[in-house]
Amino acid sequence: MSNAAVGPVYDSIITEVINSVRVDFEENGVDEGVLEDLKKRWQAKLSQMKVAQFPWDPKPEPPPASAAGTGTQAATVPQTSAPATNNYTHSTLSPQGPAQSLSLPGQLAPNAGGMALKQEPGLVNADPVIKQEPGLPSMPSMHPGYNPAATARGTAAQRAAQALENQFGQRAAASINAIHSGMASQMNAGAQPQQSTRPGQAPQPMNAQQQYRQDVAAAMQQRLQQVPHTGAPNGLPASQVDGPSDAACGSGPRPTMGRTEIDEHLHAQLAARAKQMEGGGLMLPLKDATKDRSVPTTRPSKGGLAQHDGAEDGIKSEEDEDKDAINSDLDDSDEDKDDEEDDDESMGHMMLCMYDKVQRVKNKWKCILKDGVLTVNGKEYVFHKATGEYEW
Amino acid sequence: MASGATNFYDLYRHGSLGVSLTDALDELIGDERIDPQLAMKVLTQFDRIIAETLQEKVKARLTFKGSLDTYRFCDEVWTFLIRNVTFKLDNGSQTVQADKVKIVSCSAKRTEEK
Repeated sequence: MSNAAVGPVYDSIITEVINSVRVDFEENGVDEGVLEDLKKRWQAKLSQMKVAQFPWDPKPEPPPASAAGTGTQAATVPQTSAPATNNYTHSTLSPQGPAQSLSLPGQLAPNAGGMALKQEPGLVNADPVIKQEPGLPSMPSMHPGYNPAATARGTAAQRAAQALENQFGQRAAASINAIHSGMASQMNAGAQPQQSTRPGQAPQPMNAQQQYRQDVAAAMQQRLQQVPHTGAPNGLPASQVDGPSDAACGSGPRPTMGRTEIDEHLHAQLAARAKQMEGGGLMLPLKDATKDRSVPTTRPSKGGLAQHDGAEDGIKSEEDEDKDAINSDLDDSDEDKDDEEDDDESMGHMMLCMYDKVQRVKNKWKCILKDGVLTVNGKEYVFHKATGEYEW
Repeated sequence: MASGATNFYDLYRHGSLGVSLTDALDELIGDERIDPQLAMKVLTQFDRIIAETLQEKVKARLTFKGSLDTYRFCDEVWTFLIRNVTFKLDNGSQTVQADKVKIVSCSAKRTEEK
């Protein structure tokens, strides 16, 4: 019977297809295990359809066959779910990478790098902190850069600039006074609170800088309080009030005072300012868009890609055009509905084949078909030749 | 005999064998274990091999009768919807009845010529 012949024929087809694409798999660098997996899934799905008795199914009893089919599918479910989550995390993480790197302007990139590094190494933190020291004085110079974008902060920037001038001037004055007076420790202790408040005022728009300054000031206070205990000369603490001392002081106690928080604040601040500098994000989308598109297109994920959609649409539209070119729209829609009904009712009642001859005399049709696969009543048949006669 | 490796019909992809293969390939693509391009190569090979296998290895014959509901000939593809079909397998020893059967048939000459 032709139904009994289906199993071996399909088995040979599967084996031949698997063997013939093995080269393609190797050329694409796909592991052979995937090919075996493909074969197993193919056979399992075919067994689930129960269109015929297949050689890979246990023959004596149908129930074991179905059990084996469901078993293999159950085994495949975890495989599908696990990589799916991986893909998901990849896809969700990937946009953040470029976004971060994009949002940081060139000037701030070194700082960003230092901040990124800072969280992992423990003692090396001192270096990034010192690097940020020169970076902070440069921040006032960046105020004109971003303040035009944020017009509301224009006056704040002016005030900040003035405050900084005052600050540095008073700092220098304080240090000079301290040197001359010779009562360094107590004078510095008095001078520090002033410094801590002034830097706080200076970068008012930026909370991170404000905090950082305060932290630095606090660190200096600690350091300066420690210095007298160690018996340092009076002149040294006085000189430390100047710029270099900030770096020296910051390097010591800074890691102990919530640097991760500072990092976060700084990073958020830098990112926000970077967006503002680029016109409130108006100029970003071009870069973002190109990068975001390039990222997913390199990934062979199946869904949601603009290029895939476009290509498929193009192909489909061509096919549709071809169909429309010959058939009228009414015929198409009507018959398509019929076809869909047939497919829905049972995808079984279908014959796929080649035709040798299709003849019609009045309402009597006669067809000679060959090389066909017939699915009827849930069973599948293969035939080499079929002749059909029917009336319309 | 079909000579070229290309230009085989993909209509057999709509059969159970092709659907199961497509589903399996879709799963692997969804897992990103294979490229869609590779899956297309597999399907192309499938088109060729199933056509050749049906030509060479299948000897069964069958006849059927019924009433033709709709017919369509488009792009060298005949589509029939036949109702109340009776299939006679081989020498008529087995008959199969069906309310309606859809037949999709491509020209056999085109594959042989190309």
